[in-house]
Amino acid sequence: MGYGRILIVDDDPDITEAIKMVLENEGYSVESASDGTAGLEHIKKNRPDLVILDVMMNTIDEGFVLSRELKSNPRLKSIPILMITSIGQKTGIDFEEASGDETWLPVDGFLSKPVEAESLLSKVKTLLHEQ
Amino acid sequence: MEPLFQSTSLVQRAFWLVRLRWLAIATLAISAFAAREFFKISLPAQQLNILVIVLAVYNFLLYDLLKYLTWGGKNPSHKTISRMITFQISADLFILTAILHFSGGIENPFFFYFVFHMVIASILLTPRQSYLQATLALLLFGSLIFLEYNGTIPHYKLTGFVSHELYGDSLFVFGTFFVFATTLYLVVYMTTSISALLRERQQDYEQANQLLKQKDRLKNEYVLRLTHDIRGHLAAIESCLDIVNNRITGELNEKQADMIERALRRTSKCMMFVNALLKLTRMKMGGALELSFVPLKNIFFNTIAAVENKAEAKSIDLKYRIDDSIGEAEIYVEPVLIEEAISNLLLNAIKYTPEKGKVQLSAADQGDNILIEVSDTGIGVPPEEIDRLFEEFYRATNARKIERDGTGLGLSIVKQVIERHGGKVWAQNNPDGGSTFSFTLPKPPQETEKSPAS
Repeated sequence: MGYGRILIVDDDPDITEAIKMVLENEGYSVESASDGTAGLEHIKKNRPDLVILDVMMNTIDEGFVLSRELKSNPRLKSIPILMITSIGQKTGIDFEEASGDETWLPVDGFLSKPVEAESLLSKVKTLLHEQ
Repeated sequence: MEPLFQSTSLVQRAFWLVRLRWLAIATLAISAFAAREFFKISLPAQQLNILVIVLAVYNFLLYDLLKYLTWGGKNPSHKTISRMITFQISADLFILTAILHFSGGIENPFFFYFVFHMVIASILLTPRQSYLQATLALLLFGSLIFLEYNGTIPHYKLTGFVSHELYGDSLFVFGTFFVFATTLYLVVYMTTSISALLRERQQDYEQANQLLKQKDRLKNEYVLRLTHDIRGHLAAIESCLDIVNNRITGELNEKQADMIERALRRTSKCMMFVNALLKLTRMKMGGALELSFVPLKNIFFNTIAAVENKAEAKSIDLKYRIDDSIGEAEIYVEPVLIEEAISNLLLNAIKYTPEKGKVQLSAADQGDNILIEVSDTGIGVPPEEIDRLFEEFYRATNARKIERDGTGLGLSIVKQVIERHGGKVWAQNNPDGGSTFSFTLPKPPQETEKSPAS
């Protein structure tokens, strides 16, 4: 069983709910925010152990912007970010490879939609150092 | 040789020639008058007046003939029009020669007006025909000055304009004719080569256009096949989910039921999108419309009835109004499509209007058109986005906030439907809030307005 507090930032309520269900089933406590601004506020206030982030919300790169903001903030820098999006298939960019690059895509892990429960859990566990 | 102009635009050129000729007739009458009255140049008034009248009658006849040939949208063949133009230019050469004869022959500098005829011929006719016209001009003018030179026909002297008897001076006559002949042939040579270049360009352009149409067709076919395939898979997913959702496979716990419901809702959204895309693509692929006469009133009743529930659910005041003058009017349309277009607009208006707002559907008489409008008291459209609303997949930023995943195809379908019926569609913001979506439909032609059944 996992423990730890996870924040999902995604504007798609169904994806949010599905991920929430998978993680809660594993024992995590999960909160959600539907855009970057609300997400940042929540992170500053509650300092979750992991942030799961969608790229395209109100603007096309809201997720990128938020991840850069977090990584440039010395206090929040250490919170791992798992980015989830379907954008990779559209643009042909290999996000898996780009993730971790501090300047380009400063996230700690990457998953593309549709997200399978098993790979989601294994990524989350890795990022929370439970494995 | 490809024609430089399609026969429709060649017809326009033929009308243009007629208009030019009116100008020429006026110029002739005025300059003959001015020469006599102001410059005291002696001119045989009677003969010139007769020529003006002949030219005017001939131009009237040509105009009537052209009108007859193009009556009621008839499109005469390229050959007919091109023959007519050849005839006109030749006839004009004869008349110009006659005018010159009665106004001094070689001593009248107006003989350089032959150049205009050459330019016109080179633009409108083939190079071969243009050279023939140049040769005809030279034969006519050459015979005129030669016959005047050797005294076979009389010479009308431009007393007051030239003091010497130039028409009898062999060197002057020969020299002038030589310069004139080379001028005409050079003009034809230069103008026809420019025309040939233009022809080539036009052909390239038409080929590119053809290729573009072909590619667009291919794209539409591709989209059609793709959407059709996706639709098949979606339908299967929907049926399977539906079975679980209807507890046919057994009871569901709360979380299961929630997930299944979410899945079903997203599937049906996707289905809506795929259906809209199919509809739009089919419409773009063309095929004839199934037109029939329907009372405008019926169309309005049906569309209002189709969206009434949605308006009621938001306590929106939904009204419709038809101008008295077209209260009983029939329109000649494919009813299913027009009803779809209007209900798309109404549904949008209802969706983006807050509760207790107003939505009105109206029809107004605009002479040749009927103007149909859907206005609301809703959120309006950001002014800088109003031109893009009818683009495929475009969604206004404020609309996206209200409904996250609309198809962005509803208004594209409206645009396709209306344009295929020969109408126009546009959107405006109302000064006091909300927006108005308008489109026109051409009224059916008067003589067929009464269908036998009514």
